[in-house]
Amino acid sequence: MNLFGGEDRGHGPQRMLVRVLLALRCEARRSPDPAVDRLRAEQLADRIIAELPRSVLPLGIAALLVVAVVCIGPLARDAVTERKALVGPTPVATVVEAGIREQGAALQDGFATIRAIVEPFAGSGSAPADGASAGSRGFAPCSDPPCDAAAPFPRS
Amino acid sequence: MLDQRTERLTIQRARQGDREAITALIQAYQRPLEAFLFRLCGKPELAEDLAQEAFVRVIRSLDRFDDQYRFSTWLFTIGKRLLVNAQQKMRPASDSETVEYRADDTRTPLLAVESAERDQRIGTLVQIAIDSLVSPQREIVLLFHQQGWPVQRIATELGMPEGTVKSHLFRARRRMLFAIEQSGVSNPEEVLR
Repeated sequence: MNLFGGEDRGHGPQRMLVRVLLALRCEARRSPDPAVDRLRAEQLADRIIAELPRSVLPLGIAALLVVAVVCIGPLARDAVTERKALVGPTPVATVVEAGIREQGAALQDGFATIRAIVEPFAGSGSAPADGASAGSRGFAPCSDPPCDAAAPFPRS
Repeated sequence: MLDQRTERLTIQRARQGDREAITALIQAYQRPLEAFLFRLCGKPELAEDLAQEAFVRVIRSLDRFDDQYRFSTWLFTIGKRLLVNAQQKMRPASDSETVEYRADDTRTPLLAVESAERDQRIGTLVQIAIDSLVSPQREIVLLFHQQGWPVQRIATELGMPEGTVKSHLFRARRRMLFAIEQSGVSNPEEVLR
């Protein structure tokens, strides 16, 4: 058994593996030219510092604008609608209401007219009260029963 | 790497917008983070971009950093999340592109320009060994062997028992050994020559 749990296949591959692992370690540590690393780091740091306010502020402003539009939109729409209601053409509800009132007034006039026509005849069925009213209309009430007054034939 | 006390003082200065402190933090962790991300994704440009983005986010959020924890742990966590997000956004074809890139690539990651020929050969072998690992073995190997984190810290960061971390490390080394054997490069002198 070798170091890696397999059968011993010779030391060559194992040495190669150790070499590979060391090379892997060097990738993260070794810096052939520290000046180059320093320059890259400075460039990136400058970019981060320079971009921070530029990238955050526009985003914040844009977010605020979106929120403002979303919140103010319905309010503005309502305000415009109310102004139109005050200044613009009469709403449908008002027109309908006015029509109903006009019809009501016409009906009242009609009732008054009908009442005026019907009123003279309204009391003819009730005898005690009719005397004065009949006299006032220019004819005398009949005192005899109609059958006695105008019977052409003798009674059997 | 900064020791813990120096790190805290540097972070306090960086919170106040001290350019030198921010530069010091970046300089201390930029290369380790890039190396870590590169070995996870296999793309040096992506690793570099993600490392920069991780620094941007971390330094902008320094006010929320809890001094009880290590700065590097926080930084590496954010870097890994950014990598996961980037990989999720990538189209599927990117995997094959990565394979092609790696097949043709003989460079040592992140040190491509300045590395010597010997490093390039070792770098290829490192990539072969790392590619043989699956998640979470790859991350554990990188945190332990590349970043030098102790097992306890890795266990805390990954939310698993220390024994599990050790087990993953053992299996990962066995996988890497097998991959090296399969690569046909069994003589160190071939690489180190």
